Amino acid sequence: MSNDVILEARDLTKDYAGFLAVSGVNLSVRRGTIHALIGPNGAGKTTCFNLLTKFQQPSRGTIYFKGQDITSYAPAEVARLGLVRSFQISAVFPHLSLLENVRVALQRQRGASFDFWRSKSALDAYNARAEELLEAVGLADARHLTAVELPYGRKRALEIATTLALDPEMMLLDEPMAGMGHEDIDRISDLIKRVSANRTVLMVEHNLSVVAKLSNWITVLTRGQILAQGDYATVANDPKVQQAYMGVGHG
Amino acid sequence: MFDFLGIPPQALFGQLLLGLINGSFYALLSLGLAVIFGMLNIINFTHGAQYMMGAFGAYFLLQYLGIGYWWALLIAPIVVAITGIVIERTMLRWLYKLDHLYGLLLTFGLALVIQGMFRHQYGTSGIPYPIPDALQGGHRLTFMFLPNYRAWVIVFSVAVCLATWILIERTRLGSYLRAATENPALVRSFGINVPRMITLTYGAGVGLAALAGVLAAPIYQVNPLMGADLIVVVFAVVVIGGMGSILGSIITGFALGVIEGLTKVFYPEASNTVIFVIMALVLLIKPSGLFGRAASQTSAVEHGGASAAGDGGRSALLFLGVLALFFIISPFFIYPLFLMKAMCFALFACAVNLLVGYSGLLSFGHAMFLGSSAYVSAHAAKVWGFSPELAILTGTGASVVLGIITGALTIRRQGIYFAMTTLAFAQMIYFFALQAPFTGGEDGIQGVPRGFLFGLFDLHNQVTMYCFVFAIVFGTLLMMYRIIHSPFGEILKAIRENEPRAISLGYRTERYKLMAFVLSATIAGLAGATKAIVFQLASLTDVHWSMSGEAVLMTLVGGLGTVFGPVIGAFIIIAMQNYLAQFGQWVTVIQGFIFIVCVLAFRRGIMGEIANKIGKPL
Repeated sequence: MSNDVILEARDLTKDYAGFLAVSGVNLSVRRGTIHALIGPNGAGKTTCFNLLTKFQQPSRGTIYFKGQDITSYAPAEVARLGLVRSFQISAVFPHLSLLENVRVALQRQRGASFDFWRSKSALDAYNARAEELLEAVGLADARHLTAVELPYGRKRALEIATTLALDPEMMLLDEPMAGMGHEDIDRISDLIKRVSANRTVLMVEHNLSVVAKLSNWITVLTRGQILAQGDYATVANDPKVQQAYMGVGHG
Repeated sequence: MFDFLGIPPQALFGQLLLGLINGSFYALLSLGLAVIFGMLNIINFTHGAQYMMGAFGAYFLLQYLGIGYWWALLIAPIVVAITGIVIERTMLRWLYKLDHLYGLLLTFGLALVIQGMFRHQYGTSGIPYPIPDALQGGHRLTFMFLPNYRAWVIVFSVAVCLATWILIERTRLGSYLRAATENPALVRSFGINVPRMITLTYGAGVGLAALAGVLAAPIYQVNPLMGADLIVVVFAVVVIGGMGSILGSIITGFALGVIEGLTKVFYPEASNTVIFVIMALVLLIKPSGLFGRAASQTSAVEHGGASAAGDGGRSALLFLGVLALFFIISPFFIYPLFLMKAMCFALFACAVNLLVGYSGLLSFGHAMFLGSSAYVSAHAAKVWGFSPELAILTGTGASVVLGIITGALTIRRQGIYFAMTTLAFAQMIYFFALQAPFTGGEDGIQGVPRGFLFGLFDLHNQVTMYCFVFAIVFGTLLMMYRIIHSPFGEILKAIRENEPRAISLGYRTERYKLMAFVLSATIAGLAGATKAIVFQLASLTDVHWSMSGEAVLMTLVGGLGTVFGPVIGAFIIIAMQNYLAQFGQWVTVIQGFIFIVCVLAFRRGIMGEIANKIGKPL
């Protein structure tokens, strides 16, 4: 059924001078699913993300995206193939307006934008689409503020709008709900549910009720290795998982 | 006796010996730089001046106190180290929370002040310093004559380097030092006084430089500028070796000294540039240096209008209009040649600023674009008989080509590494200009004809010339405004704001930064080519690293990252040079002083302060 798999990692390993942050991970993400990556702090989830998107070079292992070996690709090339990530620490362009933040992503459709002689009013064509995306994450009213002025949770929403602007086949979201209030969490989980209709999502998330609600498949990592995989019920009832989470304060 | 590839052994071993001696100085200096960088995160540009102070220390001790070489070897480094400690306590400590580049700028200013003062007092001719009696004479070996003093310098330098290495890598004190580099807060919690450790480290690094200076005094004479060009070579050594490793900097220092010596034997024309060529090769193959670890990325520079940072909207355009008006009216009151000089330098400084303000890259080598395009444009006008507009285009074209080559090699480095590599490349171009047949060496290309613009307008007419320069400069400044406000400019801003995010959106950020670099090189080249026609001269001054420093100073005074602030900065600095020219070396001292004041108290620059006051980007 490999046809069904959009992203696959085989024997993924990251070795920091003897410390194995990620060790022999075999991960398959099926197309069209919301796949959650959970595990206690320090389990290697973010490192996994960095390896999959090539922001870090794996020490060992291979990564396939849409059947293509991307292990030797540069991070920008991975993004151009349609595998786009967000960051744990909110990744916005702080001194650009919200509209400009989203527009920078939309602008990529123009191809290589080296046209330094043209006025940026050429970009006004993207304003309508940018406003739609801001509307979708509930930021339409704030579109002329600079990103630095937003509270933390709303920066995460802006980041998701920016990622969506690329219309990626697959999104990697690193703790999209971290630091959000209840209202935002509901809004963003609805949004993720909605946009996952025609794409794949791999997300790291600590909020297990969100994971339960959203994800079709869960992979549990501890100490850089896969502890368990399955749907929420399977994973939640796995004694190994319960033990790993015990006293950590999650769930 | 045997010959080696037709080289007499005396010459070969003589140069090898000299290479080892120079290697000793490279090793001691780059070791000091590495130690200081490790602890303070500052690239100490004053290092060359402190090396010179060591040599002068030895000379003063002998001249005024009758204290000889052996005591000088101990006392001079200690005294220079104490001055270093004062510098660290009063100035450097205020910069630790800021971008690394400010440390480079401050120590650059200090070097100007120190070297300017020594030059004012002692000129540029060297003062001889005697070899100590115990080391007079030498040994006749089978293949060469080995002077005792030179043997001593090599043996002693190796010993000092190894002792420093052991101290840092193998002792408890060293392990505290290394730990404090990684995590100062943690080490402080062990009850160790980290600030004092930082102060003493700077003192020790500076002391090593002064020690090298004392060792050099009997070989090279005592000269106020003995460290000025040496420091640039040492930067190249540091880039080649990588900043991470103490042992690496020692080995690289000696090895490059030897390679340089051998080049003198086999291909003397390249002996000045060989280290820079090796640097280029290393950057291609292993960008983090031979012994270096991948450098962590540094943040961008603090911007002119910190809160109102950015692209300068209509208010910047309005300001450009005011500037244009000033340059239209002022020739009736101010000497036009001076105004044309100010305009050319304004363009040059804006080029530097375009790069630092919109890609966060501070170039310390832009003189290579100004100078090389000046040479090419002068040559085209004088020897090939090109019309002025074609000569300027040709010169600018040369700068574009140079920008593409150097940009491709340097753009992957960030922060101070970028500053150091651009500086080193510029020095390579300087030596090329010094030796190439068509540049006229020390004389430069003189008597360049201004010619007839488009074959019609006589540029010897000052009014016509002025109009032409005005059109070029303000046309280009308008173009710069457009670049900043173009779709390309939007992406540059995104990269400056958050490069990893721009990458994750699929932008190949290096290409955009390279494009910004080439555009900046083009504008700097245009400034140089125009200047050569206006002043009918292309000379070594334009290509020397102090010119790069001046451009950075103009940018800093005017406002780093404000769109047109550097125009004001250029005007002030050029006016100062013009009207203070009779004070000779004091101009350099004053410039250095302005550098220091700007870095310590006035980082926004003039336009940055104004932008901050009115709450609008400029």
